[in-house]
Amino acid sequence: MAVARPPPSPPRIEVRPATRSPRLNLLRTGRRTDDQRSWWGLLYLLPALGLVLPFKFVPLVSGFVDSLWHLVDVGGAGQFVGFGNYARMVGDPEVVAAFANVGRVVLTLPVWVVSPLLVAFLIHQRTPGWRLFRAVYFLPYMIAPVIVGSIFREILGTSGPLNILLRSVGLGWFAQAWLGGINTALLAVVGVSLWSFFGLGVITYLAGLASLDESVLEAAALDGAGFWRTLLSIVLPMLRPVVSYWAVLCLGGMFIWMFPLLFSLTQGGPGYATMLPEYLVYLTAFQFNDRGYATAIGIVLFAVVSLASFWIVREMYASSVARERA
Amino acid sequence: MTRHKHLLVFAVASVVAISAAGAVSSASAADSGTHTPVTITVFNWGQGGDQYWADANKAFEAKYPWITVKAESVPFEQYLQQEGAYINSKSGPDVMANNVGLELFERKTAYLPINDRLTPDITGQLTTYKWGCENFDTTQPCYGLPQSFQGNVMYYNVKVLQAAGLDPQNPPATWDAFNAACDKIKATGKACIAMGTGSTVAYWDYPEIARNYLDEQGIVDQFKGKIPWTDPRMVNILKRLAEMADKGWFQDSASTIPMLPDGGDVFTSGNAGFIASIVSDVFNWKQWGDAIGNDNLGVMPWPVIDANAPLAHKFSGVEGFVHGVTSWSQHPDEAFLYVAWLAGADNANLFLQEAGGQPINKAFNASLITNSPSFTKIQTLIKDPTLHAGVLLSGKEADALSRGYQQIMLKQITVDQWVQQMQAALVASPEKKP
Repeated sequence: MAVARPPPSPPRIEVRPATRSPRLNLLRTGRRTDDQRSWWGLLYLLPALGLVLPFKFVPLVSGFVDSLWHLVDVGGAGQFVGFGNYARMVGDPEVVAAFANVGRVVLTLPVWVVSPLLVAFLIHQRTPGWRLFRAVYFLPYMIAPVIVGSIFREILGTSGPLNILLRSVGLGWFAQAWLGGINTALLAVVGVSLWSFFGLGVITYLAGLASLDESVLEAAALDGAGFWRTLLSIVLPMLRPVVSYWAVLCLGGMFIWMFPLLFSLTQGGPGYATMLPEYLVYLTAFQFNDRGYATAIGIVLFAVVSLASFWIVREMYASSVARERA
Repeated sequence: MTRHKHLLVFAVASVVAISAAGAVSSASAADSGTHTPVTITVFNWGQGGDQYWADANKAFEAKYPWITVKAESVPFEQYLQQEGAYINSKSGPDVMANNVGLELFERKTAYLPINDRLTPDITGQLTTYKWGCENFDTTQPCYGLPQSFQGNVMYYNVKVLQAAGLDPQNPPATWDAFNAACDKIKATGKACIAMGTGSTVAYWDYPEIARNYLDEQGIVDQFKGKIPWTDPRMVNILKRLAEMADKGWFQDSASTIPMLPDGGDVFTSGNAGFIASIVSDVFNWKQWGDAIGNDNLGVMPWPVIDANAPLAHKFSGVEGFVHGVTSWSQHPDEAFLYVAWLAGADNANLFLQEAGGQPINKAFNASLITNSPSFTKIQTLIKDPTLHAGVLLSGKEADALSRGYQQIMLKQITVDQWVQQMQAALVASPEKKP
């Protein structure tokens, strides 16, 4: 009698974990893995890096190296002085004056930040004539700064239209050499700069206001919030990233965008009343031929601008992260 | 196949024909001989006007047809900065210009020494060319050839002087007489001297005061950094400059407008009796004469402060600007031909007639200018030149002098403070280490 054998065991099928190949995963789901996202991100960054590295990073490093040398003879080997150029800056009254002046300019930052916001909010509220104002305020930004400087050099002259106007309306006591006074010269330069860049701020804020949820503003109006309450308690908090962005832009501009106006308005004078670090770098490098020293001033200027911008951007990032978590 | 062969033969023949035509045309485009067409770039501040440079370059190209000149210019107030950018990058024009003295020597490494290219034919035509050479010695490296003879004078508006009761034929010759004349001019509502700020203070005004306090050795010593600004002679120079502002010789806007061009506008608009400027190129007899009328323009030397000073009656004359071959030029031979041509006789009368220049080439014909009494008088004034103290200031000193003078005009600093600023500028001038 035959013994029944148990049926053969079914072939052993090895069950693999439910992970797919990255390529299969991508094809089937359209989603990338974290590693893939990293590589793709780097790929998208490459064009920007290709511009930043040779045109920003390399000159920065080269400039720092030059700042360690005493370079006055063009084409000459120069003399290595280490941080001697930086030490020289500490006791140099011209450098001290330049950085003190830019510090005074930075004190006007609140005006640069707030005044365009006010105008932008008025335009956003469709104040009568808002279309005209929106165009008119941007016009000065379209004029080249050196042309603006040339125009205002005439306007602010001792016998210029501004003083003529003041005298004609009985304010002759207020007429003065706007570009010649120790205190008025720098204020005049700041005023002209603000006039020139004001429109850019208005447009920037208008773009931010356009992205606000109108229902919030409507609700505030229904609740009886007036112009200032709406602006300060609702619009300003919601526009904080835009405000921070514009503040960084203005801060950078104060340090490194004033050159065309300085060149055409005052050339740093009278004396050193309107001397700013960027203009001093220019004079030192190209008029005095002291390239190593000029580069050292430029490196310090870069460091100051970087620190200030980093702080503002960090504050901006921290506040936006806090809002997201909330 | 036959058709293809015919096409091939036709194609080859066409290529040969086109190549031959090209060879013939390039051969005819070149000068006789073996000159290859070359383009050189010349960078200056357009001294003498665009029309002059257009005509000069055309004349040069006619003489050297294988050389094309590409002209580039910016106003002088921006020239040094733009030139500095070229120097630092060691690239750019084949020919550049600089005023002689420290302005040139601070940038000497941008130029090729041209001593080995100079011949008696070239140098023998020139009144002098030493100011473009190191230590003003033609046996040492020379960095360019001059085209003009330059120096400082005072021009005046004849009608303004007449209205003030002054005699235009006998303008004030001494400092005290000039002060009295200024009082009379101011009484008519005009400014005595049209003035503005900028580097012209160092080059147009300072040397004329310095001649009364420094002799030639003193000027050389100051150039070499051997005389501090605290020296009584230098202090007196600054005091006299300050005195001009303190006495109200300038118009109200002097402290806030640039001399070029706004200060000049004050003179040409008839609002000032005098203007201190130069004899050649720009802001000279030609420009002022064209503006207010040649017969209405007078010229005189600066009023004398100390009649017994050795240089008091001399003319602060110097080679004006020089053109030189840049050290990075790919066409130094052609560039030198241009430099030599500018200094040569062919250009001298063109420079005189079209640019109002004062040629330094001996071959120029002064009688070509018949309508400018000022130009005729200048030919007499320049006969007794001395060293020009202004061109021997360093860049830092010239800048400090100009800025300080603006502050003096605005009464923001005292002369003592100005002296300290000038001394600091001297100390910071590496080329003036004694």
